[in-house]
Amino acid sequence: MNTDRFDLGGGEPIIILRDVAKSYWREELEIPVLQGIDIEIPKGSYIALMGPSGSGKTTLLNLIAGLDRPTGGSLEVCGYELNDLDDDELAAWRNAHVGFIFQNYNLVPVLNAFENVELPLLLTGAGRGERRDRVDQALTLVNLTDKMRNYPRQLSGGQEQRVAIARAIVTDPDLLVADEPTGALDAKNAEEVLALMERLNTDLGKTIVVVTHDPKAAHHARHQIHLEKGVLDRTVEVNR
Amino acid sequence: MRWLALIWKSLMRSKRRTLLIVGSLVLSVFTVAVLQSLLTTLNAVTNNPNSSNRLVVRHKSGLTQMLPRSYEAYLRQQSEVETVCALQWFGGYYQDPRNFFANFASDETVLFQTFREEFGVSGITEAQMKDYIRDGAGCIVGESLAKKNGWKVGDTVPLTGTIFPISPRLTIRLIFKSPKPSDENVLHFHYKLLEEGVPRMKGLVGSFWLRAHRPEDIPRLIERVDRHYANSAYETLTETENAFNLSFVKMLGNIGAIIQGITAAVVVAILIVTGNTMATAIRERATEIAVFRAMGFSAGRVLTLLLSEGVLLVGVGGLLGVLLANLAAGGVRESLGMAMPFFADFAILPATILSCLVGALAIGVLATFIPAYAATRRPITEGLGSVG
Ligand SMILES: Nc1ncnc2c1ncn2[C@@H]1O[C@H](COP(=O)(O)OP(=O)(O)OP(=O)(O)O)[C@@H](O)[C@H]1O
Ligand SMILES: [Mg+2]
Repeated sequence: MNTDRFDLGGGEPIIILRDVAKSYWREELEIPVLQGIDIEIPKGSYIALMGPSGSGKTTLLNLIAGLDRPTGGSLEVCGYELNDLDDDELAAWRNAHVGFIFQNYNLVPVLNAFENVELPLLLTGAGRGERRDRVDQALTLVNLTDKMRNYPRQLSGGQEQRVAIARAIVTDPDLLVADEPTGALDAKNAEEVLALMERLNTDLGKTIVVVTHDPKAAHHARHQIHLEKGVLDRTVEVNR
Repeated sequence: MRWLALIWKSLMRSKRRTLLIVGSLVLSVFTVAVLQSLLTTLNAVTNNPNSSNRLVVRHKSGLTQMLPRSYEAYLRQQSEVETVCALQWFGGYYQDPRNFFANFASDETVLFQTFREEFGVSGITEAQMKDYIRDGAGCIVGESLAKKNGWKVGDTVPLTGTIFPISPRLTIRLIFKSPKPSDENVLHFHYKLLEEGVPRMKGLVGSFWLRAHRPEDIPRLIERVDRHYANSAYETLTETENAFNLSFVKMLGNIGAIIQGITAAVVVAILIVTGNTMATAIRERATEIAVFRAMGFSAGRVLTLLLSEGVLLVGVGGLLGVLLANLAAGGVRESLGMAMPFFADFAILPATILSCLVGALAIGVLATFIPAYAATRRPITEGLGSVG
């Protein structure tokens, strides 16, 4: 295998994929979605996962984030061999190490911005005061402290996504994953969210993996990884 | 935000739906609690522990037929018998025919001994009893009946007969307190007043109430008395007081089966309604559940949260239901306690409250568990579906 094609620069790897494969079965018929994915992603990377529709971007992202299990190969993410963790351990691992940003924000409608951000902290055993401080910090970072009593329906799409980002970073995870985070936003709001993510990478050193169709969004990343029919095609370094 | 707040806010997601489900639970629990309590009350009438020493001897052909007073001597002779008290339902009213309560003509000398539990005799002095026994036109009334009519000892109570053509003017000689409320809605006066006032009652008695020394003697006594008067001009039907009362309850039909049938129907209906509502509510939250799990909530934690919502929902409904039933029980006692004395004891017993609450919680857990468990078994990626 020619690993040169997938060079993401040096540095200590935070994501190591070894011969990762994922198939779905429709009755007896195996439908391979990912095959032979071998890649190391260094800590502090900002990666855009690209490729045509159906090429397996979401599937790969879900595997890296521990939302799904591979049918072959292994993943070591944030120092853990994910195949070795049972479902509950994997859940605890996600809480500690991964922040999620979704295309549709997925805020809980019955909770206000503050409570939405606080949600993942309920699992950490942090006390009331500590939780408040951390939620405040996260909301300050996304510049939404003035909206923390607003419910999702009282926020614009861009504001909702910024609350979602605050929720993703409130536990201070090493890794942020985002699937089409700007897919539902207009150009101006998209730009704001992308700038924010870039800051999380450069200022806070978060490793970010983002799936996107949008070339503008991909341009904010440091590297682009292209998937083609379930296999890695090439990586491209972005000149920013 | 605490866990309880999270659960509460989730419940308030659809206020209309939550209100609807709580409302139907309140109604169901209320219905079941009241019906079951009715059954308990009726059962208490026919399983009265105070009655265990007592027998009723009456005419074999029914309560409207009389027995000769002369039977008293034979009954008294039986070694197992402690007292024999003649008793006749008088059916009179005070001032207004609608102002109905239980009143009897009875043998004043043995009355207290025969029904000592009902009259709470430990609270009655010898002198008070004598006052009543001495006054041929005297009467005794229970405290709640006296309170309701504003009667005091010494007052005159004109009683208008409905079955018998006399309207005695009675003087209250004693107001007694009973351990059981239903036993207080009663008036007794001297049997002689009836016998002397109504020519056709001369030498006749409606029924004899026997007190045996020991409950064990009762079956033997029943057998012997009925055999003794078999083939006589006045054949007897002897039975325990509980059996006698049961014959009245039976006039209401097979109430037990009806109540259990309704209860079962209500339980099944509410289980279906709750189960369906929970299933819909949880299905609508498929994405949200997936997001919770992505953030690190374990399947068990999500299940616990959803179950807590269900339990809180039915808990509130159940509590309101029994509370309402308790209020209604007070109303039943007030409104029906005089006309049908056993309703004066109508209450939602702690055991009924407990089983209603346990039942409601079981319904909540069952109705929530199935869809909640299914939701936590689904792959997270499927729940996030629209996103991927
Ligand atoms: N649960 C599933 N069962 C069967 N096939 C699936 C399932 N999930 C995904 N696939 C298939 O796997 C392939 C890759 O899907 P994936 O969602 O990863 O694509 P993608 O690159 O994210 O596409 P898009 O850009 O449209 O989001 C697709 O052909 C899809 O149909
Ligand atoms: Mg996708």
